[in-house]
Amino acid sequence: MNPMPDPSSSNPVLIAAQGLSKSYRRGRESVMALHGVSFEILRGEFVAITGPSGSGKTTLLNLLGAMDSPSSGSLLIDGEDVGSLTEAGRTLLRRHHVGFVFQHFGLVPTLTVAENIGLPSLFARRPDPARVSELVRVVGLEHRQGHYPSELSGGEMQRTAIARALMNRPSLLLADEPTGNLDSVTGESILEVFRQLNLGGLTLVVVTHNESLAAAAGRRIELKDGQLRVDSASAGSRG
Amino acid sequence: MNPSWLHLVLKEFRRRPVRSAVTLLGIAVAVAALASLLAFERGYRRGLASELERLGAHVLVVPKGCPFDAASIALHGANWPCYLRESYLKEVRSVPDVAMAAPALMQATPQADGSSMVVVGVTPEMLGLKTGWKLDGRFPQEGREILVGSGVSRRQAWRLGDQVEVPGLSGRWSVAGILDPTGGADDGFVFLPLEEAQRVLGREGVLTHILVKLRDPEALDGAVGRLRGCNAGMDMNIVPLTHLFRTIQGMIRSTRTWLVAVGLMALVAAITGVCNAVLMALSERTREVGVLRAMGASPGDVFRLFWLETLLNCVVGTALGLFAAASVSRVVESWLRSQLPFTPTDPLVRMGPDIIGLCMVGALCLGSLAGVLPAWRASRLSPQEAIRTPAGR
Repeated sequence: MNPMPDPSSSNPVLIAAQGLSKSYRRGRESVMALHGVSFEILRGEFVAITGPSGSGKTTLLNLLGAMDSPSSGSLLIDGEDVGSLTEAGRTLLRRHHVGFVFQHFGLVPTLTVAENIGLPSLFARRPDPARVSELVRVVGLEHRQGHYPSELSGGEMQRTAIARALMNRPSLLLADEPTGNLDSVTGESILEVFRQLNLGGLTLVVVTHNESLAAAAGRRIELKDGQLRVDSASAGSRG
Repeated sequence: MNPSWLHLVLKEFRRRPVRSAVTLLGIAVAVAALASLLAFERGYRRGLASELERLGAHVLVVPKGCPFDAASIALHGANWPCYLRESYLKEVRSVPDVAMAAPALMQATPQADGSSMVVVGVTPEMLGLKTGWKLDGRFPQEGREILVGSGVSRRQAWRLGDQVEVPGLSGRWSVAGILDPTGGADDGFVFLPLEEAQRVLGREGVLTHILVKLRDPEALDGAVGRLRGCNAGMDMNIVPLTHLFRTIQGMIRSTRTWLVAVGLMALVAAITGVCNAVLMALSERTREVGVLRAMGASPGDVFRLFWLETLLNCVVGTALGLFAAASVSRVVESWLRSQLPFTPTDPLVRMGPDIIGLCMVGALCLGSLAGVLPAWRASRLSPQEAIRTPAGR
């Protein structure tokens, strides 16, 4: 399986986080969701972010996906400083460099499989029917491309979501509990898709509670109470 | 396979078909009502103007009674409940403002198909009034000759020179002339010399009405006053047609103003309904908006999506409404004819490109405005918060 991104940059570091913090206001309180987290992710790595609920995994994923900007510290994605980007700049970064996969799939119910996959190209103003056909084939949904999400199994919906995330040839694929809504057999098949994409050179960051998915990743970043507790790369297992 | 903006918006109709249908229905009904009202106002105004022009008279002299009924009978043909003495004609002609006075005796004979054969006894002066008439043949000059309207000629298959039996008249009659189509009630009339009409109808010495052309139409008020002041003035009803038509038009216009206001309010209410429906859709699709933002949709893209959705609802609803208005215009027309005291023979409901354009532009403008609120709210959603929203909220 060819992951299709073309990491043209010569810099091997795709993500560099230094003293990354994120706080939110909840009423009058300020909640520190992420506190002084530092790490680097190289191009082509498969990283699992784990930790208990409320440990800051999703907050970190949102920052890595430029959905939000850090409260302090620095975060470089593909050379872009997320903290200094405007809303429009973060939109462009997401559009061209990041693909998202969600636990709830996030498919548009009124669009077919092929239309869902092609949707990001509408926002990128780059229609590419050939790319849609290619991705349909990559995720093995040729026979389902005219079907609507309500007609698909959970595994097929997640495959569609993965293909959609790859539409604009991102350099980074972020997945938030991608097997959380799937049975173990289907979860395994999704894991295999991720594995193949990573073998093709795509950088993957997956937030998961699924041990087999975390184990399949080459590296594990574990958070607790908003702080980095374990980074297996620091323990010498980066690979 | 790569969806376009329009494709994306059109497919939204699939999500909640019943809600979409009800929303569209609201707009369609409001637009249909508004378009019908505008088309009726224009049709009625033009119809009255044509009627007046075809009549060629400024004043109608009729027996005492309701002037609206009298005008309607004289213009469209029916039986009269009472008559004028023929001697009044001389008095009318003696008024100095009168350039021409054409007497008429009208009678309608019911036919088997429910219609009426209207016969009108006239004098050649009628030709001086009806300057728009074009005849094939000639005006009746001898006793048993008739001039037939184009509609009668077509329905009865009467040709020039035919010897025919006219319902309501005894004996056989020779078709001396056939009128070219006038577009008015004259197409359905049979004309014969006045004296002959009085004789065969047993109405010697009486008339049903007198059509009067003035020397100076601008001096209508003075002429009407002098006609009312003549000896027979107390026994006649002097109906100034321009004023009568203006009064009718004024009545229709004041009703129309109220109805158009109601129609506009209905349209505004319907479009507010669209705005509300899209706001509801937004609250159900908040998470989806977050997903779209995650895949690279800008706030402007989200605004465009929801604004187009509102606009498309308005455009489709308006198109359906206009189609409905055009489809039921005949029904509306016949209902109006049954309700109004006086209606011109020309079409009452005249839908035209300008009315269609006006309704479209109006709906587009209102829809554009109504779309701003849901679109703006959608575009302001924070992507990471929107994604955390439970599905269906």
